[in-house]
Amino acid sequence: MIAALLKVMILGLVRDRGALAMTFLLPPLIFMIFAAIFSGVSGDEMRLKIALVDNAQTDESAQLVAALREEPSLRIYRGQLNDDDSLRRAVSLGEVDVGLYIQGSLISDTDTIPILIIADAGRAMAGSILSGHVQRLIARKMPGVTLHRLVPTIETLSGGLTDAQRARLNASIQAMNQGNEDASDEEESSDGTLVAIDTLDIRGGSSAVSYYAGAIAIMFLLLSAMQGAATLIEERTSGIVDRLAVGSAGVDVVVIAKFLFLTLQGVFQVALIFLLAWFIYSVSFPGRFGLWMLTTVLAASAAAGLGLSMAAACSTKQQANTIAGFLVLIVSAIGGSMVPRFMMPPWLQDIGWYTPNAWAIEAYQGLLWRDADFQALLPSLWPLLLVGIISLAAALLLSRYRLKLG
Amino acid sequence: MDLSVRGPHPVLSVDTLCVNYGMRPVLTGLDLTIDPGEIFGLLGPNGAGKTTLIRTICDRIQPASGKILIEGRDHSQRQALRKIGLVPQEIALYPHLTARENLIVFARLAGLSHAQALDALDYAIEACKLTHQVDDYVHTLSGGWKRRATLAAAILHRPSLLILDEPTVGVDIDARNALHEVIKNLSADGHAVLLATHDMDQAEVLCGSVGFLRDGALAPVGNPLQLLHTAFADRHEVLVRLREPASPEACQALSDLGFSRDGNGLERRQLLKVTAAQQTRLTKMLEASPLRIKEVRFRKPGLDSLFLKLKAEKHTI
Repeated sequence: MIAALLKVMILGLVRDRGALAMTFLLPPLIFMIFAAIFSGVSGDEMRLKIALVDNAQTDESAQLVAALREEPSLRIYRGQLNDDDSLRRAVSLGEVDVGLYIQGSLISDTDTIPILIIADAGRAMAGSILSGHVQRLIARKMPGVTLHRLVPTIETLSGGLTDAQRARLNASIQAMNQGNEDASDEEESSDGTLVAIDTLDIRGGSSAVSYYAGAIAIMFLLLSAMQGAATLIEERTSGIVDRLAVGSAGVDVVVIAKFLFLTLQGVFQVALIFLLAWFIYSVSFPGRFGLWMLTTVLAASAAAGLGLSMAAACSTKQQANTIAGFLVLIVSAIGGSMVPRFMMPPWLQDIGWYTPNAWAIEAYQGLLWRDADFQALLPSLWPLLLVGIISLAAALLLSRYRLKLG
Repeated sequence: MDLSVRGPHPVLSVDTLCVNYGMRPVLTGLDLTIDPGEIFGLLGPNGAGKTTLIRTICDRIQPASGKILIEGRDHSQRQALRKIGLVPQEIALYPHLTARENLIVFARLAGLSHAQALDALDYAIEACKLTHQVDDYVHTLSGGWKRRATLAAAILHRPSLLILDEPTVGVDIDARNALHEVIKNLSADGHAVLLATHDMDQAEVLCGSVGFLRDGALAPVGNPLQLLHTAFADRHEVLVRLREPASPEACQALSDLGFSRDGNGLERRQLLKVTAAQQTRLTKMLEASPLRIKEVRFRKPGLDSLFLKLKAEKHTI
């Protein structure tokens, strides 16, 4: 008897391709995405995008820049940056994950810390990671620099060096810097005076909260839009669309009304998330209400359009539910709703730009974290607008086509 | 508003309509005319093309050739389509709304103003006798009341042509009879009705004319009584219903007596011109036979008899 019921269940699963895909395709796919992300965090796949400005222009600084360029776990920004300000701007605009500014000679005896790492508070971890890379590279490829910076300490402790001792030490440092690349495999971690990290914290509050407010908002916009749009299928199968198709309204009005409703519902949904972020974590969105509203309307309309076009393309509600679950999970994982995109390997970051999540998160981060103005937000907003328009048009055309199909 | 006073055109006029599904012809030169106040029964087996015809009239399917006019206007014009009130086979209402809320929504979607919608609501409630159920949620209504509500939603904008696709599927006898009354009243108000149905008794009771959709065309077409008279004149149908399947010998004997076999093998029927005395004699003869007979019935042939006759003719051609 149990075998008979098992057979029913197995046949049900095998014959329902959507359920089959959800059961056996989605889990490995999600695993692969997260494996790619988290293997990057602890392994070689996380390739930070860094910008370099060498203000010192010395042999040592040139050597460090060359070493950084050769470092496989870093990607070097190709844009033209000349000074500290332009570097800070690139970091705060999110054009790079982190910046490195060589502000003075690596071997000078002044108190100035020669290397300044500029990190966004939203990606503070990137600053620490780059600092580690820099110190490791200096220790491995330029051990003389470390030694040179220790000379004053040695002098103080030993009561001063003779001229002869100083000359021998300088010769050794020269030799170490020029040829002995394998001098040490150990990372230099004790030299706090070589590298400093400057974390840009423009607005205060928690960057992670403002990030996740946007990330969760777009994920739930997509989820609820997909769910709400599925009523289009109910209306089609219940004969309501048949009835309306011969009336004054036509079928377009059904799609447009649903688009407006889902957009409005989305705006309220996102507002609740940001209100909580405001009250509890001081993510101050009312101060930028106009641009926040524009971003939210565009994100909600993109989600509504995508939900409706998916519902218009599906024949049954079951099919729509399956595809919606599949799509939302995948685009949320790739687009940065679950894990920040800068932690992903570059190929996954590139794919991420094909999801509305990436653009919406970028827009909210720009708006609430980087204090971006309308002009600066445009590159993130127009893809959302485009997705909304194209997907609404697709939903209208597909609905008309379905009506003709009967 | 009396809809029977209309212009010179029939409400629906279909002229040599041809519709194909890919390469397969479904309708092949179909003609049909329905006048104000007329109830036309569209009859035919599953797959004959009834739904295709309805969808083509509603401009859902592009015909290969032919012309469809609604009150003299080409059916593809939005103004012409507005003259149609469609009652689909499904309960085309929002289940989470009350009947009243549904009717107001559909009235607004039909292009009526709020005041006109309230006016139309009163008319539809009255016409479909919905007064006591109008504030109930649709999902709580019984099948019969749901059918009335869905009919009410189709007449809010006072369409000239009401298309009903199997309007009494899944309802009990009482609800069915009540719906018949509503449809008759709507026809009396001047609505032309195109009724697609499998229910031959319903067609016989309700329709002023019927057409059998066969091989892509309507034939025969006419008043049910006239069609029956033409097909059967004054012959009676003798129906013998058995308790158990007959033996091969008994089958042969019944066949020799002129009885033809029906679907499940437990029914035999034939057409005879018999007097009352002959009826009695035939009944006694059958009862005396070794057959286990449950029922012997003499009746005037109905549209179902005509339907079976036409089907049999098709198979013998």
